[in-house]
Amino acid sequence: MPTLAPERDGALLMASDLSAGYGAIRVLQQVNLSVRAGQVVALVGPNGAGKSTLLKALSGMIPKTSGTVSFGGQDITRLTTQACGRLGLVHVIEGHRVLPSLTVEENLLLAALDQPASARRARVEEAYRVFPEIAEKRHLGAGSLSGGQQQMLVIAQGIVRQPRLLLLDEPSAGLAPVLIARVLEVVAAFRTKGTAVLLVEQAVEKALHIADRVYVLVHGRIVLATDAQSARAPGVLERAYLGAAQPS
Amino acid sequence: MLVTILVAGIAIGAIYAMIGLSYNMMYSTSKVVSFTPGQLGMIGAVFGAWFIGVLEVPLWLGFLGAMGVAVVYGFFTELVAVRPVLKSIEQHLYVLTTLAAALMIQQVVAIWWGTDPRPFPTLFGLGAGLASEKYWLPVVACFLAFIGLELFYRKTLWGAAFIAVAEDAEASRALGILDVRIRVVSYCLAGFIGALAGFMGGQLLLAFFALGATLTFYGFVPIAMGGIGSNRGALIGGFFLGILQQAANYFVGGVFVGVVTFAVFITVLLLVPRGLFGSAVARRV
Amino acid sequence: MMPTGLEAIASTDLPPLTRQRPRALWAAAAVIGLAVLLPAGVNQYWMQIGTLAFVYWVLIAGLDLIIGYAGQLAVGFVGLLAIGAYTASILCEKASWPAFAALAAAGAAGALFGFLVGLPSLRLKGFYFAMTTLGFSTIVTQVALGWERLTGGGIGLPGPIFPAPLDSPVGFYYLALGMALLATYLLRNVAFSNFGRGLVAVRDAEVAAEAMGVPITRLKLVTFTLSGILAGMAGALFAARQTYITPDAFTFDLSVLFFIMVLIGGRGRIVGPMIGTLILTLLPEIAAPLVMWSNFLYAVLLLLVVLIVPGGIAAFLERLFVKTAKGEGLEAPAPERLNAVLGQHASPKVLTLQGVALHFGGVRALDGVDVAVWPGTVHGLIGPNGSGKTTLLNAVSGFYAANSGRIVFGEADLAARPSADRAALGIARTFQTPRVVGNLSVLENAMLGAYRQFTTSFPAVALGSRHGVIEDCAIRQRAADALAAVGLRRLAHLRAEQLQHTEQRLLEIARCLVMQPSILLLDEPAAGLSHDEIEHLQALIEHIRSLGVAILLVEHHADLVFQVSDEVTVLDVGRVLAHGAPAEVRINPEVINAYLGA
Repeated sequence: MPTLAPERDGALLMASDLSAGYGAIRVLQQVNLSVRAGQVVALVGPNGAGKSTLLKALSGMIPKTSGTVSFGGQDITRLTTQACGRLGLVHVIEGHRVLPSLTVEENLLLAALDQPASARRARVEEAYRVFPEIAEKRHLGAGSLSGGQQQMLVIAQGIVRQPRLLLLDEPSAGLAPVLIARVLEVVAAFRTKGTAVLLVEQAVEKALHIADRVYVLVHGRIVLATDAQSARAPGVLERAYLGAAQPS
Repeated sequence: MLVTILVAGIAIGAIYAMIGLSYNMMYSTSKVVSFTPGQLGMIGAVFGAWFIGVLEVPLWLGFLGAMGVAVVYGFFTELVAVRPVLKSIEQHLYVLTTLAAALMIQQVVAIWWGTDPRPFPTLFGLGAGLASEKYWLPVVACFLAFIGLELFYRKTLWGAAFIAVAEDAEASRALGILDVRIRVVSYCLAGFIGALAGFMGGQLLLAFFALGATLTFYGFVPIAMGGIGSNRGALIGGFFLGILQQAANYFVGGVFVGVVTFAVFITVLLLVPRGLFGSAVARRV
Repeated sequence: MMPTGLEAIASTDLPPLTRQRPRALWAAAAVIGLAVLLPAGVNQYWMQIGTLAFVYWVLIAGLDLIIGYAGQLAVGFVGLLAIGAYTASILCEKASWPAFAALAAAGAAGALFGFLVGLPSLRLKGFYFAMTTLGFSTIVTQVALGWERLTGGGIGLPGPIFPAPLDSPVGFYYLALGMALLATYLLRNVAFSNFGRGLVAVRDAEVAAEAMGVPITRLKLVTFTLSGILAGMAGALFAARQTYITPDAFTFDLSVLFFIMVLIGGRGRIVGPMIGTLILTLLPEIAAPLVMWSNFLYAVLLLLVVLIVPGGIAAFLERLFVKTAKGEGLEAPAPERLNAVLGQHASPKVLTLQGVALHFGGVRALDGVDVAVWPGTVHGLIGPNGSGKTTLLNAVSGFYAANSGRIVFGEADLAARPSADRAALGIARTFQTPRVVGNLSVLENAMLGAYRQFTTSFPAVALGSRHGVIEDCAIRQRAADALAAVGLRRLAHLRAEQLQHTEQRLLEIARCLVMQPSILLLDEPAAGLSHDEIEHLQALIEHIRSLGVAILLVEHHADLVFQVSDEVTVLDVGRVLAHGAPAEVRINPEVINAYLGA
């Protein structure tokens, strides 16, 4: 399997020989991955491969057993998730987990909690401009929104924090096709703003259309790292996913 | 007679309710049911009596002093008895560590303050008989605490952050919320509320080292009834228990108050395990 | 760690527990000898302290079963001590019963209330149960205080007096010693038996215990009853030693003290809590100034034990005295050993699912699934995550109830049966995340598979029945064979928590095999395994199949599934997407698409 070395110069986020797991279970095995500023990178792979685990290891939500992670030149291997957030590495976790008993507005204001009070309103308004669908629901309980709206809300929470790099975990999971298109449109727009994105996606085809590069993770290892164009060639992904057993 | 039962019942019920609020406060940010709220009540009563009755400092200073000791104890509880065991998979460990913390403060007070109940000083000297301040001070404090908490949760962003951590600690962390700091603050706040119960109720309860053990159980019954996490349930459960106890005291005899309480407790727990208002978090929207 | 029986060591080819057994016997003999000779060597004061320690130990032995083995936080156990004490005293004082009869009655009262205290433990966990026991002991003291006509109220009443020569301090010392030895004997028999292992399994891995058919309710209640008997008798002895009892004697502090004695000693151990009891009884006596601070010290000790040395004294001792083989890892599996394990298993049965549907809220996890698994075949079940594979396993093993459709195994309709019955029907399963009982040895974990087949009753085991020992040995042999079959033979005496993740997976499989199942449900057994390990796993599965066991294999490793299965079913969003021989399924375009999630 052709595996290109990760691009080392000018990388905003870089993971080197990263291994992590839960207790005795080793999920990630020596992962090497990098994302440049302003790039959209897709992370795909069969379920159970460890994609969500990788994002959590990058943002400090789970401890790493070995390897390092650096962000903007700084070693963030030991930092907490909150500290990573302050540096601009923002993680939007999977499952559109809004805070259901708070209003949409409060959900957004909380995301802006570590910014000065005067700036919070401006950040929130900015998020509403990107997602007018939730602006009109600003005073409703977040628990009353539909799944798609909640997903937009968690991405909006990410936007509010003015990230340099956004880790997005399955933003299109469980959404109707038209909403998926909407979400991916927003993700593509991040590039123009200079925000890098590392995107875990189930909708592989659609993710490839907006991504610059793609990493394929299978059983905790990177088996393919290439540009999105090459990945779209027939059979390339299948071979990566299903292993040698797949007849050519 | 009925009036006495009601007045005394509501007064003592208010004390139980505030202990219940303390249980809820600790639980909300840590999912830990701690053995310490009862001891916080004891701290409020004993240290209030010491500062104001023995050292004879002004009322407001004595109040701050007693609350201060409780806040420090709350901080200590979080640091030593809760934080180390949160990481562990074995959930029951916090029962042991908070039990140890509770016993420690109880023994220290027993040695320093003595094992006899000592009087709690009159605070304002207002009212007499059934209208005496010893009956309505706890009730006023209870409602102030309850309303204060509601306003805190509803109107302030910090309060929203508390709710966030209580609802979904992982999502809160991902949002950048400092969940550990919030937890520490919640334990200090729980210390304040618990001690408030003992301080305002001191004239009813007396300054007694063993108060903690009693309040631990009686203050938990409203929680069992209302469901952990529900402040409303704690209030209603507290008043109900207070009145029930006074009625039992009058009709059946003082010694069997415990039996009646326990019967209610175990019945509610087995029939309605989540409590009558049961929900994991104080929902507001 | 529980030493194996001498006979068992001789008959299996497991690595021997070197130096442990003879050492333990010598130590025990020495301690008993010391205890017997004590009155000759020390003055009466210390002898009476010894008596108190023995009396406490009778209660702690029972409490050790509840807190240490069953893991129930019975903080308020002093209530049972009080009940025993008052029962004996009242019968002697008011009804002129002879002391030994009163002792027996105290035991009976303890049994009854022990059982009652055990009932809430079935529904309430952790803090809530602890609080309930606290409330219970509060009431007992309050009733003792209030029911003056019976108990003498605050004034109290005299305790029972035993017939001469047991009424003298020396005589009573030996009575207490005898009772302590009896309690130790009962505790030891239960702890080292099937029931002891079952209790620890329920405490640490309840889901696994259920899957192996451990009758949790019955086991807990019978344990509480035995502990109640011991506590009641301890109460009677306590009353006799104090010669006079009042409600004040049974304080909250004493209750917590008992609790700490068990925990300091180490959960799931015997010697540790025994030493803990001795130390904590002696502590206030040795250091006079400490008396006032003793309760404070107990609390500090409890905190330290929980935070720093969770295993207690027992863990400390273990490091000194028990040497287990380190650095000897997995060996190649010996599947032939399975013939001895599975030799005469239950008659072959077919597992059939028809139109099974299961939904959680709005999500249809299973949407009308038909699957049939035949004995002596491997049926692979694959599909992307969320397709319902594990849900299906959980439905078959009884952890979820299907909303519609039928699940039939042999002749039994599984819908009506609780999950604990599945083991009895011959259904064994492994879990995605291995659920082994960390605090038991690898061998003991494997033996748990045969829990249901153990026929000796709890009382018989407690009294040391020979039949129980024989059964235990047979199961031990079977477990040893199963461990050898999967390659874990050399690790048999390690604690299961010391195993690597992959070794734990194999242990789960061995445990299932000990059950002699008719069908084996494997939940992603190859996850995290190296290439070699997967080959071994494949050989093992093939051998199990050849012995006539049906196997339902849920897996992500496509290679393994296609190579070892006789039939493959592919699930997607809760429905059967494809079904047939591996060669057909693997090239099915719909299957390929489902995996890529396009």
